[in-house]
Amino acid sequence: MLIELLDVSKIYTVGTQEVPALRDVSLSVTENEYLAIMGPSGSGKSTLMNIIGCLDTPTGGSYRLKQREVSQLDDDDLAEIRSAEIGFVFQTFNLLPRMTAFQNVELPLIYGRSDRATRAARVWSVLDAVGLRERAHHRPNELSGGQRQRVAIARALINEPSIILADEPTGNLDSTTGEEIMQVFRDLNDAGNTIILVTHEQYIADHARRVIKLLDGGVASDSVA
Amino acid sequence: MYFGETIRTSLSTLWSHKMRSALTMLGIVIGTGALVAVMSLVAGLNRTVAAQFQSVGTDIISVSKYPWVQMGDSEDYRGRKDFTIDDAVAIGRLPSVGLMAPNIHTRRNISYGGETVRFTLVSGTTPEYETIDNFEVEEGRFITDLDVERRRQSVVIGSDVASELFGLRDPIGRDIQVGGKRFSVVGVLKEKGDILGSSLDDLVIIPITSFEKAFGRRRSVVTDCQPAAGVTMERAIEDIRQILRLRRGLSRDEPDDFAINTQDDLTSSYNQLTGVLYLAMIGIVALALLVGGIGVMNVMLVSVAERTREIGVRKAIGARRSHITAQFLVESVFLTCIGGAAGILGGGTLGFLVGKISPLPASVTPAAVAVATLFALVTGLAFGVYPATRAGRLRPIEALRYE
Repeated sequence: MLIELLDVSKIYTVGTQEVPALRDVSLSVTENEYLAIMGPSGSGKSTLMNIIGCLDTPTGGSYRLKQREVSQLDDDDLAEIRSAEIGFVFQTFNLLPRMTAFQNVELPLIYGRSDRATRAARVWSVLDAVGLRERAHHRPNELSGGQRQRVAIARALINEPSIILADEPTGNLDSTTGEEIMQVFRDLNDAGNTIILVTHEQYIADHARRVIKLLDGGVASDSVA
Repeated sequence: MYFGETIRTSLSTLWSHKMRSALTMLGIVIGTGALVAVMSLVAGLNRTVAAQFQSVGTDIISVSKYPWVQMGDSEDYRGRKDFTIDDAVAIGRLPSVGLMAPNIHTRRNISYGGETVRFTLVSGTTPEYETIDNFEVEEGRFITDLDVERRRQSVVIGSDVASELFGLRDPIGRDIQVGGKRFSVVGVLKEKGDILGSSLDDLVIIPITSFEKAFGRRRSVVTDCQPAAGVTMERAIEDIRQILRLRRGLSRDEPDDFAINTQDDLTSSYNQLTGVLYLAMIGIVALALLVGGIGVMNVMLVSVAERTREIGVRKAIGARRSHITAQFLVESVFLTCIGGAAGILGGGTLGFLVGKISPLPASVTPAAVAVATLFALVTGLAFGVYPATRAGRLRPIEALRYE
């Protein structure tokens, strides 16, 4: 089992008030799944994604990632796990503006401590995978929205992560470009990658093989397409 | 490997905010520049003063009512018992003392023809004075034992007096007025130069006996002497101290009521003076760098806030706390070190130019460069730590949410 969440809860404390964002969510994901997490605003889907992505820790329950309990780890251990196991794709791309596409894609390898020669070979291979070899030395502001998201996907792939986590990856793209990006995810899944998609659009979720709907911090439905 | 990326990122960030970086560096430039410039000037001053002290004579011991460097109220010294010729003779008889010259002085006007030099030092002494006090005769001769014995009206004049009264004419054999008394010039002294700004050449030397006849004998005698061959300064000084305490009837618990001056006293009080100067300077520079450092911290905090989202992204893709902290710390150290380098260059150029153009032999010392570099580095670290740590501690989800 790749991901095992058991009774995971997250409670935010706002002033003196406790606001529950997740209530006892249990969820298992196996390798090579293509999963969409859906739900309206405030349903807890962002919180769930942050916990799965090791950006945040739950206040209760257990989270095992590749058999390892990660719910109680500190900042630096979580960074280590993000570096090795998780590839993020964001709605707003989140590329670093002063760096070229190549440098953006290379950055996770630098934090992951690999040497220069290995890095260059890896960067070229993932840029090829998303079809952006020619644009490698352009900065984000010289790229189209679709190209930027491809760079972001290449960056997510670079460390060969166990999970690719995409948060509304088509939210800032027109529908044609959005479809192209969804095709990239489909191809990645076909090639053996595990993909978790967070979206509130049904037609985006339709690309996934399994859809989980959240409501008020709990799982409302879990269905395989 | 990671370090290379950090440096590249820092430089590109600084470069992308050229104006802001330059203004922030300015404080550091001024601080380190002032440090290097002042240290260069002080180095030049030290060199000049050391050369001046050499001209006094390195092994001279000068016994007097007054210390060369007076601390506190001069009234305390004035009440002291005068020294007499007998005291000088007693010092001269000590086995540990070599050459000895008693010396009394006053200040008088000196004139020849229509020319007058005002308020010149008139020194009554014996021939030994020439060797002990490092005088050299340029022309003619020094005073002799015979001059002293016969109370001759002979005078040896300093180079300042010679040039003022005689210009290019030959002074030897001319009669001049010393405080209204007629004296005949027998010699001219070689120029000695200045010490701490006052001339050593504005004087005339006459036999001590003639001095007493002309100006009276109620003056305290200063005894200049050297240790005997093979005797240390310390040993000679101690013997002199003992015999003077005895002659002046001081009991065991009374302090000395006289001064035994050496060139070391001058050097050490000069060093004390420049030590204070150094401290004051370091204080001022520290203050300048404090102000500069606060500027650096301010800009770094702004930079952290501006790049909160970037920090979030970096953390999401695997950066640890230390990666982020190092990145900002390197950036602030770069700011201060580039500023420091500019300051060293500017201050160094100033010191170099002063050394070339003015008579002060100023020079840029390695110590000045090292201290300035250290100051710049420490400022960058000290004022970068807080913003950098803050950046490192940002929580990734909050940083990513930041607009």
